[in-house]
Amino acid sequence: MHPILARRGRLGPYLGAWTSVVVLLAGLVRLAARVSWPEAAAVVVLPGVIYGFMCLAAFYPCKSAPLRAGQLGKALTSHVLAALLTGLVWLFVIDTWLVLLEPIRWLARVQDRTNEFIPVMLVAGVVVYLLVAALHYLLIAMEESQKTETHLLEARAKAAEAELKALQAQLDPHFLFNALTSVSALVGSDPVAARQMCQVVAAFLRDILRLRGERSIPLREELELVDRYLTIEQTRFGARLRVEREIEAGLGDVRVPPLLLQPLVENAIKHGISQIVEGGAVSLTAHRDGGLLRLEVHNPYDPEGMRRHGEGVGLASVRARLAAVHGPAAGVEVEAGGGRFAVRVAVPLEPNGELDPALPRS
Amino acid sequence: MSRLRVAIVDDEAPARALLREYLGAEPEVELVAECANGFEAVRAVEELRPDLLLLDVQMPRLSGFDVLGLVERDVAVVFVTAYDAYAVRAFDVQAVDYLLKPVAPERLRQALARARQRLGQPPRVAAAALQAAATPHAAPLSRLVVRDGGQVEVVPLDAIDVIEAQDDCVVVRTRGRKLRKASTLNDLAAQLDPGRFVRVHRCFLLNVARLARLELYARDSRLAVLADGSKIPVSRAGYARLRSVLPAT
Repeated sequence: MHPILARRGRLGPYLGAWTSVVVLLAGLVRLAARVSWPEAAAVVVLPGVIYGFMCLAAFYPCKSAPLRAGQLGKALTSHVLAALLTGLVWLFVIDTWLVLLEPIRWLARVQDRTNEFIPVMLVAGVVVYLLVAALHYLLIAMEESQKTETHLLEARAKAAEAELKALQAQLDPHFLFNALTSVSALVGSDPVAARQMCQVVAAFLRDILRLRGERSIPLREELELVDRYLTIEQTRFGARLRVEREIEAGLGDVRVPPLLLQPLVENAIKHGISQIVEGGAVSLTAHRDGGLLRLEVHNPYDPEGMRRHGEGVGLASVRARLAAVHGPAAGVEVEAGGGRFAVRVAVPLEPNGELDPALPRS
Repeated sequence: MSRLRVAIVDDEAPARALLREYLGAEPEVELVAECANGFEAVRAVEELRPDLLLLDVQMPRLSGFDVLGLVERDVAVVFVTAYDAYAVRAFDVQAVDYLLKPVAPERLRQALARARQRLGQPPRVAAAALQAAATPHAAPLSRLVVRDGGQVEVVPLDAIDVIEAQDDCVVVRTRGRKLRKASTLNDLAAQLDPGRFVRVHRCFLLNVARLARLELYARDSRLAVLADGSKIPVSRAGYARLRSVLPAT
């Protein structure tokens, strides 16, 4: 795409700037041929305007010979050749114009002094052509950098969207159907408990809505959310679902991405405990290890149960979000064997126990 | 009208409680069993002969569909599940109805009425046909569910040596034991990964991973020697099939 012709609003300024070039050329004719301004203008204005359009062709050599290290010789050669060629065509245009002007008598003086200004016009034509070529290079470079920036912005927007999608994918709607079944059952047998259950479900949903837009939240809040989730699931599974917690003291204020543990606990129940007839315990541990917060969710599973293909949405989302916020400093490790499934997450701590404060918080 | 004998099968206690409560309000309905998993359900169907199962789909080890594949008695089925994704399969196994959790009492009443209507008619489908339909046609099986008398076992494919055709069933040889399963070798071969289980003989389906070596004992006749030393015959066509899945030597 031609950087001047293809863009609306660029041809005007170019032609405007070209006016001064034409004035300059007329001045050169006036000096070289020692004639008046009107005479010089009559000779040079129309060819000058035509030359303005001719110089736009500099785009093509610019495109085919980009300014890259190692290819400067090639660029220079093609432009010198193009400049000479354009210059000669330019002279031909002037010449033709002069022939057309011959009948006009008051221009006789200029016609006589052709030999004095033609060489000046050739040199000026070549120089102007080279300037226009430089302008093209500038515009092409500008467009490329804009394009790169657009790509970058698009990529960022896509990443943000993917992150959001991952977040939204986390809450399995079937969780709600099952929770409502529990509430429905409790209404008949234990209305007080039913009411409590409604409160817990509402609090859990509110937590999710409130926290999932955050960039980071205190570990304490994530643990509260997980507790609510577990309370709801324990109503469903009864004694089949046991919970073991081992949370090192003093970690409550450590900041973690929201919904970091909840999907892991959800998986532990969905693919572990609920697939075992007698159930089992979901274990949750958190401790500080040097500059890292180490979290672990582990649970028994049935190695002979239904086979699962690939990594679940929840785990993939935790992985992706940790990588987006912390890069390679964070890690997610999965270990399955001997009927036990463990997910270990490492989140880098700032020296004061905070997430990197340089990160923007949305 | 005779009383409708119903069994509830769900691994979640509140879900069972809800159905129990609803059924309690129904006249002419007798709750004969509450089963917390598929194993209990299979036993209950044999021992208590309910007319109707209110059956959850997602349960540990044995799904609702596995249960249907194992019962040899005609029993009407109403699926009760939080997932609407199983409705098509439920239709395949001639389920009377498909209820979504949380269940509304009037929906359950409707399902019970349909079950009564269905039970009043002579059974149209034999248990065996239902079993065939209860097995999924899409993805290859990942394990076999086998019932031997009252005992239900889930056998991982890795643990199977050979499946052998018998008169009216197949025998699954696994971990030194022989388990009978009501099925045909053709049906099983169609549901198992052909790269792992090869029909080496009209009567034998071999787990390729168990093959130790092949012995030639007559022209065109070979014996497959298994890792545990046992031998099974390999026909000429079976040998060709085996060659096509084994890495070239």
